[in-house]
Amino acid sequence: MLDLLRQFVSGYVTLNPEDFSLLAEKVIVRSFDKRELLLRPGEVEQYMNFIIRGLARMYFYKGRSEVHLNLAKEKELIGASSSFLSGAPSNYYIETLEPTTLLSIHRDDLEKVYRQNSRIERLGREIITHFVLEKEEWEHACMRLDTRERFLQFVERNPELVQRVPQKYLASYLNMKPETFSRLKHLLKKRPSAAGNR
Amino acid sequence: MTSDIAATVYKDALERLHHYLSRYVPLNKQEFGALLPYIEIREFDKKVRVIDTGTVERYLNVIAMGLARKYLPVRNKEITVQLASEGHIIHSELSFHYRIPSSAVIETIEPTTFFSISYDSLQQLYDQYPKAEHLGRLLISDLFVKKDNRYYHQLIKSTRERFLDYVRTHPQMLQRVPQKYIASFLNIKPETFSRLKHLVRPGKK
Repeated sequence: MLDLLRQFVSGYVTLNPEDFSLLAEKVIVRSFDKRELLLRPGEVEQYMNFIIRGLARMYFYKGRSEVHLNLAKEKELIGASSSFLSGAPSNYYIETLEPTTLLSIHRDDLEKVYRQNSRIERLGREIITHFVLEKEEWEHACMRLDTRERFLQFVERNPELVQRVPQKYLASYLNMKPETFSRLKHLLKKRPSAAGNR
Repeated sequence: MTSDIAATVYKDALERLHHYLSRYVPLNKQEFGALLPYIEIREFDKKVRVIDTGTVERYLNVIAMGLARKYLPVRNKEITVQLASEGHIIHSELSFHYRIPSSAVIETIEPTTFFSISYDSLQQLYDQYPKAEHLGRLLISDLFVKKDNRYYHQLIKSTRERFLDYVRTHPQMLQRVPQKYIASFLNIKPETFSRLKHLVRPGKK
């Protein structure tokens, strides 16, 4: 399991084995069934989680409809980052969609490791920078791309999620009506190369 | 401009910068002084495009004086995504970090002075000073939290609430920024924005 984490980390910074073990010592394994809530609005996010196995979603309610902010699978992070970083109560729910195993680090432990080792602090900075850029990219995509383009871009980048995530969640994540999503998916089946060629 | 002259001309602005950074990490005079050689002072007239689409963003800027906006040109429209005044960070971040051509434009609204740090200088700073690494992490964390809040509030709040929240927290911006930019930033139609403005006229509560 730690190998997956090591691999993930090496995408951001080079850590020697001693650095990595400082981090690994603080990591705990947490397992959840499907459809378990990891976090509710009003709670402070205590953990940043790396998914070893499974799938989770982060969302909130606008009126009675769910708005999805994140869908994460193996080798990705899930957590209410904003609450984790600020210590303020979260606005969001996090729920597993499949049986899920996480490698989690508590925010207090991570702070300790940052103080001990500036290369790990760099890792933290790089990951948060990545979060910021992802958000920025997403906002730009929402403004610049139309519904169809957003759909195609998503399907191209996340073919797996299309299979594993209920369609209404995907539609919500892509900020489109479920009917629109169905219609676009239909279009894709007829022309399987449509997504691949872009 | 050499940093000695800059230190005289921009004494107040530099003090504000020192104060601003110290909110994240306490820096004594020497430590703050050690950062100065990495900082460039850049001055622009009003309505100047500091960075245009298609060019790679070289700088992360903190506004020393003035006002600037960031927008995305989309189908003959300009969508304002940021309005930044003194003490705020503004740059085309995707372009800056990934070293790719910018899809955003940054334009000054008033004559504006930036304290700017180039991509390379920033990496040098991080390599040289663990404290800079710490400062960088806290700054970017704060930026993320603000971005997340803004995104959430844009989605959850009504037009009227978005308007009132903004003018209450940024009273001076209404005077300094053309109305259409604020309307675009808040994702409110210009007509609606005009109508909402009566809510903040003197005498009305």
